[in-house]
Amino acid sequence: MMKRRLRSSISTTWQTAVIVVAALLLGALFIAFAGESPLECYGVMLEGALGSMSRISEIMIKMVPLMIMALGVSIAFRAKLWNIGAEGQMIVGAITSAVVGLYIPLPPWLHMIIAPIFGMIGGALWAMIAGWLRVRFNANEVITTMMLNYVALYLLAYMVYGPMQEPGGYNYPQSSSMAESIQLTPLGAGLRVNTSVFVAIGVLILIILFWRSRFGFTVDLLGHGTKITNYAGLNANRTIIWTMMLSGALSGLVGWIEVYGVHFRLLEGIGAGFGDLAVVITLLGKMSPIGILFASFFISALLVGGATMQRMTAIPYSIVDIIQGLVIVLLITQPMIQQKLQARKARGIYVE
Amino acid sequence: MESIAVEMRDITKIFGHKAANDHVNFTLRRGTIHGLLGENGAGKTTLMNILYGLYKPEGGDIFLKGERVDIQSPEKAISLGIGMVHQHFMLANPLTVTENIMAGNFRKRQILLRKDQFRREVLELAERYKMKVDPDSYIWQNSVGEQQRIEILSVLFQDIDILILDEPTAVLTPSETDELFITLRELVDDGKSIVMITHKLDEILQVADEVTVLRDGKNVGCRKIDETVTKRDLSSMMIGYDIDLDLQSTHECTGDCIALSVKDLTVKNDKGLIALDHISFDIKEGEILGLAGVDGNGQKELCEALTGLRPVEAGQIYVKGDDFTGKNSKDFINAGVSFVPEDRRDVGLALDWNIANNLIIKEYGTDAFSSRGLLLRNKIKSHAKEMIERFDIRAIGEDALVKDLSGGNQQKVILARELNGLPSVLIANQPTRGVDINATMNIRREIIESSNNGTAVLLVSADLEEIIQVSDRIAVIYDGKIMGILPGRSSVAEIGPLMLGERMQRHDETASA
Amino acid sequence: MWNEIFSLTFLTSLLAATIRLATPILYAALGQIFTQKAGILNLGVEGTMIVSAMAAFTVSYFSGSLWLGFISAIVVGVLWSSIMAWLSNTMNAVQVIAGIGLNILGAGVASYVYRIIFGVRTLPPQIDPFPVVELPLLSKIPVIGPVLFCNNVPTYIAFLLIPVSWFLMERTTFGLRVKMVGEHPRASDAKGIHVTLIRNIAVLIGGACAGAAGAYMSTAYMNLFTDNLVQGQGFMAVAVVIFSKFRPGWALVGSLVFGFSNALQMRLQAIGAGIPNQLLLMLPYIVTIFALISTSRKAEMPSAYTKPYVRMER
Repeated sequence: MMKRRLRSSISTTWQTAVIVVAALLLGALFIAFAGESPLECYGVMLEGALGSMSRISEIMIKMVPLMIMALGVSIAFRAKLWNIGAEGQMIVGAITSAVVGLYIPLPPWLHMIIAPIFGMIGGALWAMIAGWLRVRFNANEVITTMMLNYVALYLLAYMVYGPMQEPGGYNYPQSSSMAESIQLTPLGAGLRVNTSVFVAIGVLILIILFWRSRFGFTVDLLGHGTKITNYAGLNANRTIIWTMMLSGALSGLVGWIEVYGVHFRLLEGIGAGFGDLAVVITLLGKMSPIGILFASFFISALLVGGATMQRMTAIPYSIVDIIQGLVIVLLITQPMIQQKLQARKARGIYVE
Repeated sequence: MESIAVEMRDITKIFGHKAANDHVNFTLRRGTIHGLLGENGAGKTTLMNILYGLYKPEGGDIFLKGERVDIQSPEKAISLGIGMVHQHFMLANPLTVTENIMAGNFRKRQILLRKDQFRREVLELAERYKMKVDPDSYIWQNSVGEQQRIEILSVLFQDIDILILDEPTAVLTPSETDELFITLRELVDDGKSIVMITHKLDEILQVADEVTVLRDGKNVGCRKIDETVTKRDLSSMMIGYDIDLDLQSTHECTGDCIALSVKDLTVKNDKGLIALDHISFDIKEGEILGLAGVDGNGQKELCEALTGLRPVEAGQIYVKGDDFTGKNSKDFINAGVSFVPEDRRDVGLALDWNIANNLIIKEYGTDAFSSRGLLLRNKIKSHAKEMIERFDIRAIGEDALVKDLSGGNQQKVILARELNGLPSVLIANQPTRGVDINATMNIRREIIESSNNGTAVLLVSADLEEIIQVSDRIAVIYDGKIMGILPGRSSVAEIGPLMLGERMQRHDETASA
Repeated sequence: MWNEIFSLTFLTSLLAATIRLATPILYAALGQIFTQKAGILNLGVEGTMIVSAMAAFTVSYFSGSLWLGFISAIVVGVLWSSIMAWLSNTMNAVQVIAGIGLNILGAGVASYVYRIIFGVRTLPPQIDPFPVVELPLLSKIPVIGPVLFCNNVPTYIAFLLIPVSWFLMERTTFGLRVKMVGEHPRASDAKGIHVTLIRNIAVLIGGACAGAAGAYMSTAYMNLFTDNLVQGQGFMAVAVVIFSKFRPGWALVGSLVFGFSNALQMRLQAIGAGIPNQLLLMLPYIVTIFALISTSRKAEMPSAYTKPYVRMER
């Protein structure tokens, strides 16, 4: 069994690598179409992503939130709950954790504990709404999480233009800055990457353990249907709500990281694009924690390297979107193609 | 050549790694009823789905009136005059009867719907075949028998020569079955040719002119039905060797302790209608109570109520003397109530999961498989190996996916899970449906074995033979009510009338026997 | 401020803007009614729209013909959505994921191709958009005239599509086929309805309409293309379909609700009113959630919604 499991995980890694390479090759076609040399451009991209310490620091800045968010999304996805509302959950988490830093006077060490918890609670509650609507009214969670994304977006806009706007600022859509004592500290002079890296490592380990735990098993069971979940003596409805909340809590935690470690304040557009990226990473990582670790690194490197490529060559940054889109399209066609190949093999036995 | 309606030659169809049809030949003569006989999984439905264009065969040819035809889709089949009534009704619930019939009967190049005209035609056709339907009612408002009528009507609308019926009697009462057979005879006299898929030997002898028997995806013979053909002939063709069909429960139930007691139980179905109407019975330790009845008379709801999966409207359920009314499924599981559900693919198994995980879905929270909240993978693995050995589950290993197993082996996985650890009560709903004869015999043996060890068993089955073979007592359910409780080894003649809703005389006396 | 808001000119311009903002949503929603009724949730409308918007602008810019641009956008919409059709109906992919993937890809491709063709300029290239066509007499009616009868031709076409969609859905065999396929694909198949074909057509109709919506954005609503030209209109269309419970007439109402809240927000911002308009912008989305609750409760959603159909399944 160990051997077989190892073999199957190696073949999964192999297949995923093939898909990434295929997406990059198709992306090369686009580069060639623009009249540039794909090899050169990808070289610039690689250099821009991994060329120096500060570059790697930039990758980490993106990777930390994206990985945590994707780990959260994967929890819902494995239960076959298509939570596409990570962005909204993150925004609400950002708002609730910012409230702590801005309005609740606490000693800094207590702040560092309370603020992330508030962020997680905010994200969890926002996701819970969708879970509850699904359980109570059988409302499709895709639609509800999508709508709640927009509601969160406008809630954020309302907050940063209204009650939480920086007093005496220039009417920018942002809150006041967080006190330095409660900001996440950088890991080195001149680097932006901060202590949130340790949070990410902690979350990664916890999620690895989670999938080996009883509750993780229950979530996986839910992914096989509500009927069998109830049959096994578990309450499928309650599991749906808890799963959504857990998924949302991790996005909420990311909200805290962005407010306290990247922007140091609440501002409009804080979560832009994170939701889609988390979905890409979750799928590329095949919903496993280690897979997500590598996938989040790859996507973050792509984002950072792509920005450099845009500056240094004639290739627009949107090549990054193209490659990501291609990765998803290729990933979702893979199971069917594999199935067809297997069927062909089987057919050979009977029909000569 | 004129008298042959359809000829299928060398048909081969592969699912996964298994040939569902292996070079099958099949000939249907014009103006006859042809029985297509075989066990579950023998490939009958597959063969007919190929004729109807639903499946594409890997090899073989189809000849219609001597001409080779290529049937890639049901649309094509219909245009060639082939119609099919499926085992599961092909009707869309939220649409009306007219809309459903209309959807299957568009004219060539028809663009506009013309509902009113169509509605009239539906009524005319129904009149002609003396079938009563309400064209404006929604499908969900019709009973199962009515829905079958709508299906047949819909197929007749297509102006077909060849009618395929897949297990048409599975959901019918005996008298509805007789009515259906009269209709089929009329259609044949009208010049139509009929294929009837079934696994019931009696029906073949009663209505068919000819029979083709499939076994393991192969054609094992075709015979004309006359007085010389016996059930024994057909069954040995169907099974392939003489099997001891006379499995008898060898134990005598000696226990006095009542393990499961149901008093005046009333339960509603998914539509909110009464499914069980004041049902009462007891099962003693080590006793097998067979519950006979036509599908859909409240069996599913009873099983769900007895396992905490469906709320109880009125009445009580006692497990080993304790009141379990209103308890949830976890409580029933903890009290040792095991459940083999009717729908194993959706309810009883996680098809995309491996055997090891499927075996522990009810127990992973216990100390046997987890400690401090984390699962113990080695224990799960060794448990799976043990179960695979003990229940003779044929699979490449404990991490084989359940969807890759045969129906019989899938059922063994469920039984391994449910019978492990000596349950005090076993609720088994159609445990042998859709599995081959060997697995069927094994499953029955396992059930008897567990009752010998003291488990109280409620065996729900639409298969009277099974009920009679295995049960210590036989209860008959009809329309949510228990019509009577008979002693074990009662005859079909005694049970049959109760299945039609005739209440038994001297009900109380026999029940306490 | 308040007397400014309650003036007739403000009202007229507000309602006119509502129509302008509602039109692209209406286009896309009418198409998605067919797609969703056939059982397919295509979240990729947004991506289809942005690619089509780019195509419409580029073709119009170089050919000088707005209509050629409009038609190319529809063709591009059909082609682009054929990827979705292939992913959902042939590859049986999870539709939600396919839609998200195509949105990302669409945004990338549109922006990439635009930049390769036009390069980076300080001022974006522009075209003359579809002119306003005042309908004789009708346009002279106060308030209603300038709002309803002083629009460009694509807007009039969008409104004409409402009865056309209704007729197609309720009075033709195609409409019944679409409903059957979304409700019970297996039964449809057994009755001789080609499930994959009908579902593909339904997705392509959605694509054509999204293409028109995209064209409207770059050649009628605006006269240029930018990366963020389509900001959520595709998702709004998906929401409107749910809001309307798959009825073309109600899709108009839904589009107007979304259009109105956007228009009001823009007008209020223009006159600098300090009203928390963000809360107002939230409303249509919340209303959509309530509409979803009511359709789900009465089981009015197609039974096979988002479920791929696999014939070989045993």
